[in-house]
Amino acid sequence: MEALGALGAGFAVALAPINLFWGLLGVTLGTFVGVLPGVGPALTVAMLLPLTAKLDPTGALIMFAGIYYGAMFGGSTTSILLNTPGESASIATALEGNRMAKAGRAGPALATAAIGSFVAGTLATAALTLLAPSVVTIALRFGPAEYFALMVFAFVTVSAVLGRSTVRGLASLFIGLLLGLVGIDSQTGQARFAFGVPELLDGVDVVVLAVGLFAVGEALYVAAYQSRLPATLERLAGRVTMSREDWRRSWPAWLRATAIGFPFGTIPAGGSEIPTFLSYAAEKKLSKHPHEFGRGAIEGVAGPEAANNAAATGVLVPLLTLGIPTSATAAVLLGAFQNYGLQPGPLLFQTQTELVWAVIASLYVGNAILLVLNLPLIRIWVRVLEIPRPQLYAAILVFATLGAWSLHQSPVDLAMLYVFGLLGFAMRRWDFPVGPAVIGLILGPLAETQFRRALAISQGDASVFFAQPIAAALLALTALLALAPWVLRRLRRR
Amino acid sequence: MRRSAAEIALSLGVLALGAGAAVLTASLPGEGGYARIGPNFIPAVVSAGLILLGAWLAWEAFSGGWRGAPPDSAAERGEHAFDRAAFGWVSAGLFAHMALVGNAGFVLAGAVLFAAVARGFGSRRPARDAAIGLLLSTAVFLFFVRVLNVNLPAGWLAPLLGGAGI
Repeated sequence: MEALGALGAGFAVALAPINLFWGLLGVTLGTFVGVLPGVGPALTVAMLLPLTAKLDPTGALIMFAGIYYGAMFGGSTTSILLNTPGESASIATALEGNRMAKAGRAGPALATAAIGSFVAGTLATAALTLLAPSVVTIALRFGPAEYFALMVFAFVTVSAVLGRSTVRGLASLFIGLLLGLVGIDSQTGQARFAFGVPELLDGVDVVVLAVGLFAVGEALYVAAYQSRLPATLERLAGRVTMSREDWRRSWPAWLRATAIGFPFGTIPAGGSEIPTFLSYAAEKKLSKHPHEFGRGAIEGVAGPEAANNAAATGVLVPLLTLGIPTSATAAVLLGAFQNYGLQPGPLLFQTQTELVWAVIASLYVGNAILLVLNLPLIRIWVRVLEIPRPQLYAAILVFATLGAWSLHQSPVDLAMLYVFGLLGFAMRRWDFPVGPAVIGLILGPLAETQFRRALAISQGDASVFFAQPIAAALLALTALLALAPWVLRRLRRR
Repeated sequence: MRRSAAEIALSLGVLALGAGAAVLTASLPGEGGYARIGPNFIPAVVSAGLILLGAWLAWEAFSGGWRGAPPDSAAERGEHAFDRAAFGWVSAGLFAHMALVGNAGFVLAGAVLFAAVARGFGSRRPARDAAIGLLLSTAVFLFFVRVLNVNLPAGWLAPLLGGAGI
């Protein structure tokens, strides 16, 4: 019940007119940028980060909550009307959503996506409100060894266990870890891998890496391999509403998807991709109209969209309570916190109670704004999709370079942006997952700090990681998860 | 058996990255105080990891190609062949922006970048693109400098932009 009191105080902050304005601005900009084809939520958050450079932390983080949800919703609009999902989490939505749009049912598809996102987002935020204080209570007992074990667990699950290739996932992670080492070592002040370049002493900024990999890499890739392919935009005919029948079929899908999406978001399972597909599969199996799947079944849009939003909210549980990002978007959000000298985790709940609960309250507010804003404004977002590709990518790169330049007002950051763009191009072409690199960059230095702290406490005795039950169990589980696919394959071959 | 030169080159690239990091790590101090490990310990682990992963990638590349990687033929991926000019125009736009933004200013550099990228994506109306780019970057400039208080270089257009920015 303590949480409800704190949440009430949070609402008082989040509903202050100025903060409400930042929330509204965040949702609008997040949706606008998120709608752009090829722009996923991680890139949206990274590109809009410079906007908040001069805001107070509370206003900035409230705006980011809005951007986060806006970006998620924008992506679904794109995948329904254009069938080019800007992010892996929208692929499942595109399966049925684009078919519905082709059959002239874009309106109901967009409506079930918008209302489903609201329902799932609100229920998941309520779950977060109830769950966060207990996770914080447990996390407060964690020492450096437990944190380190938890981070290693997150590294392995996001890079090695999920995705098509263990080795390419790990390579992406290690490139991120290497980039995370660049700069001044926080414990000793030793400069590492900086080559005496002042801009590098500050370390590689998550904005430069995320924008380089996602925006510049994507632009180079699409220019090189897809710029001469035609794009087909589905028309939005009719009103964005649902019939009684649509409602009847959407409700259970939204609720089931929330139950699938939220728990998946809270564990380090790489964000929204898996729960959206699980929800799609579940709806297909349970549907009374299985023959409609593949031809535009509304449950196939309602489920994955709700699962996406519920998982996106679930991701905030480990981010806020433990300081551990489990998706690329969460890693960029963690970078936004760090810009203000805030380190998310159990201590933040104690030292900055008001700020944390204001952010959580703004999640409720952001969801509501999203619903109120998007149903009437959807025609404007559809117009955004009509921007021709040359001008669209040109505009994206103007914003991408702005974000990198504003860090130090230095061409060095722009050069790094281009190098990361080449890296992103190669990773896209040869199917390396990008998320692990971004997570490695931001979580690597935190893991190193915990590792060295644990060893400092134990006077250099490495058994500290195996002597404490939680740390040992997490490391054992990590090893099990990493080796399980390999062992299973061996057994199957026999 | 499938063997891709690009995959082999990239595998060796990851290996070389790890080797380079290992060389730099060797010159880092190892003094560790209570923890008995210094600022060189994790860099050594990461370098070793990259070397191992590079070797693993190379082994996959030589024994049938990277597992589950996209096909080398663009047609099989549903794309057109690598468009060197398009790639070049986008890159050239970014380099021009890099060189210009510090002295010519954000607005002019943005307009040049915009026109070059649009050209790379197949637009054939450079004057119109430059004009759109000019309008867009002016609007962004004014929004950031006047509303958000973020400094951006006005450069050669400082007299026109009312001395805003730096």
